Amino acid sequence: MPIDRLADMEEKLRILEDLNMIYIRQIALSLKDSDIQKKIDYEIRMREGACKLLAACSQRDQALEASKSLLTCNARIMAYMSELQRMKEAQVMQRIARRSSDTGPMDDRSPCKGKVAISDLRIPLMWKDTEYFKNKGELHRCAVFCLLQLGGEIFDTDMVMVDRTLTDICFDNTIVFNEAGPGFELRVELYSCCSEEDYSAGSTPRKLASKLSSSLGRSTGKKIKAGLEPGACSPTSNGGGATILLPVPSVPGPKYHLLAHTTLNLSHVQDSFRTHDLTITGNEECSYWLPLYGSVCCRLAAQPHCMTQQMMSGCLRVKLGGEPQGWTNVYGVLKGTNLFCYHQKEDMEASVEPVLTIGINKETRIRAAEKDPHSKAQNICITNQYGGEEVTHTLAADSREDTQHWMEAFWQQFYDMSQWRQCCDDLMKIELPSPRKPAIVTPKQGSLYHEMVIDASDDIGTVTDILARRIEEFELRTQLESPPHWMSLFAEDPPRTPLNRQHLPPHSPSPRLHSRQPRSPRCHRTPGLLSSNASLTSDSDSPASASPCFRQAWSPNTSSSSGHFRPRTLSLDAKLSTLRFRCACQPPTAGSVSPRPAQTALSCSSSTSSSSSSEGSNSQESDLGFSRPSSARRSLRNLRAKLDPRNWLQSQV
Amino acid sequence: MSFIPGQPVTAVVQRIEIQKLREGDNLILGFSIGGGIDQDACQNPFSEDKADKGIYVTRVSKGGPAEVAGLRIGDKIMQVNGWDMTMVTHDQARKRLTKKKEDVVRLLITRKSLEETVRQSMMQH
Repeated sequence: MPIDRLADMEEKLRILEDLNMIYIRQIALSLKDSDIQKKIDYEIRMREGACKLLAACSQRDQALEASKSLLTCNARIMAYMSELQRMKEAQVMQRIARRSSDTGPMDDRSPCKGKVAISDLRIPLMWKDTEYFKNKGELHRCAVFCLLQLGGEIFDTDMVMVDRTLTDICFDNTIVFNEAGPGFELRVELYSCCSEEDYSAGSTPRKLASKLSSSLGRSTGKKIKAGLEPGACSPTSNGGGATILLPVPSVPGPKYHLLAHTTLNLSHVQDSFRTHDLTITGNEECSYWLPLYGSVCCRLAAQPHCMTQQMMSGCLRVKLGGEPQGWTNVYGVLKGTNLFCYHQKEDMEASVEPVLTIGINKETRIRAAEKDPHSKAQNICITNQYGGEEVTHTLAADSREDTQHWMEAFWQQFYDMSQWRQCCDDLMKIELPSPRKPAIVTPKQGSLYHEMVIDASDDIGTVTDILARRIEEFELRTQLESPPHWMSLFAEDPPRTPLNRQHLPPHSPSPRLHSRQPRSPRCHRTPGLLSSNASLTSDSDSPASASPCFRQAWSPNTSSSSGHFRPRTLSLDAKLSTLRFRCACQPPTAGSVSPRPAQTALSCSSSTSSSSSSEGSNSQESDLGFSRPSSARRSLRNLRAKLDPRNWLQSQV
Repeated sequence: MSFIPGQPVTAVVQRIEIQKLREGDNLILGFSIGGGIDQDACQNPFSEDKADKGIYVTRVSKGGPAEVAGLRIGDKIMQVNGWDMTMVTHDQARKRLTKKKEDVVRLLITRKSLEETVRQSMMQH
């Protein structure tokens, strides 16, 4: 039985995963390194969250984002685990080396670390001219993002949707890696995922059936084939061996594939934009294929710490120009390509101009002079070429140890500069990425016409209904802001109770209308609710008798009402009332089996005008507000409204 | 009530025990919830952090079991009878609250004023 075998495999994979985690924890414990352990745990938690989100979300965008974070988490887990293994190996090697006891103390000088930043990634595309100017046919869209790895740090860029109207893929992110050595290797990987139809395994048979009944085009056939391919998806880019170490839980949903990659190192670092070659994996047959030009432009900058941090500071004595025998006490700071000499330490903190600045760069020569007859310590002579002239500064430290420290610092500085090469000529600017702001809340406005889905048989009810819903949404916001200027279009009714326009919470349209309607015999509501004094009853739509668990679209405080909103024209008014009448008298037909009494129709119509965006579910269905001629369309509308992300679902429990 | 994804959440919570009210064939609690990981969190008017996809109380019916038990509008529900509610879909949340076999739900809720209260009481000592 293949199904049994699949379940068996999954069971084995889970056991393997648990064993691997135990193994990893053992290594971490033995290394006494809890830092990486914490990072791995964090990433695993993130991964679980992403899997949950992926399983639960219905929107394609959400699924793509979740899949992207899943991939990043996996890559990070791999990186941490390999680092753990490396550390363990290094520890073991060290122990062996110590035992052999023939290696003297290694006196390697190690270069300083630095920051490496990559920004303004741009990947040009090369569509065929026929494709570029094609007006018909479906738009082949892909979701792409870049994964950047340096050492143990992995970052991903934001996701970009690419279709044939784009000439370049641009990523606006600036990614900064701290703690990079001069021998760094920055691996850039471009992942893409076809974003047209959902080719998850579950829906494929159905799609196949529907496609086979009609004819299969060549491109569609290709895509279906790619979707059916079992081994096509590999969520991580590492080799097969690493995958076994921590097998990835297979989740449904979109999967990204590696489209191209390249590796950058110190020789590519420059303070301006440069173009690098891309190695492209994948071919035209893949569903995730994009016609890449074959290169990537970016700005790769590096700031070694020797350029940005103080490498050495202390008190010195320097022979200043005018006095051949006199020494001036200064506070020296070695930073970047300069040795700054301040009068005193406080001057440096106060950013006062230094008394003397001695350049320390590749051309500088530093040597320790013979012992000064006056003091025991050696002098340090720094010689520079300033425009063809040789200038020598003589410095002295207070003690021999200090002199030694300074010389050591100078040697280290020279070594760093030789290692970091072009980065030490001038300080490259790195813009720190601004802290991530939460997604800007754009009120989902657009024009009213975008929101209206008007069928031929839809009538004025839809318009007023949508209008009323929009009003409510705005009135919600007027609780916090001032009402939009077009609200003045609606003349204010002489309110029954003095109501300040600013404080109006959303309400149901024109309570006067309710009083005109005869009460449906099915309505179990208390009489007071339907009366015209519906203005400020606080529980008009949430009585204990209302059917529980009905869903309504976003409408807080629908209980309070006022004569704020009034349909503009009399005919509209009349139509509105007739529709409500019709709705009131029409038996609410539940589309599906509902154990609960369906008394919700009128109760909801009096409470909220956002009725047509009501949600139905399989267990219960409440037909709110304006009824549609056919229940089928109603249920479809309910479903569509339920899946519409603009609605923030509320459920009564 | 902001949270960092991946990190454990700490919050000052209040325990609220709601006895469900029997209404014919139904057991009702008397409040409405909004939110969920499959919902658009930007539209939540009660959350401080607009990326918070937790379950919030959007309405409490007057005199209902929830109001009697002390639930207030704008509360964020962290747990229901021990089940986590910070990372659930809207439907899962609704289901956990409306189990027919349970007569009572014990919620852990958090709200901004709780933290202030705790802080103030600590300052007094």
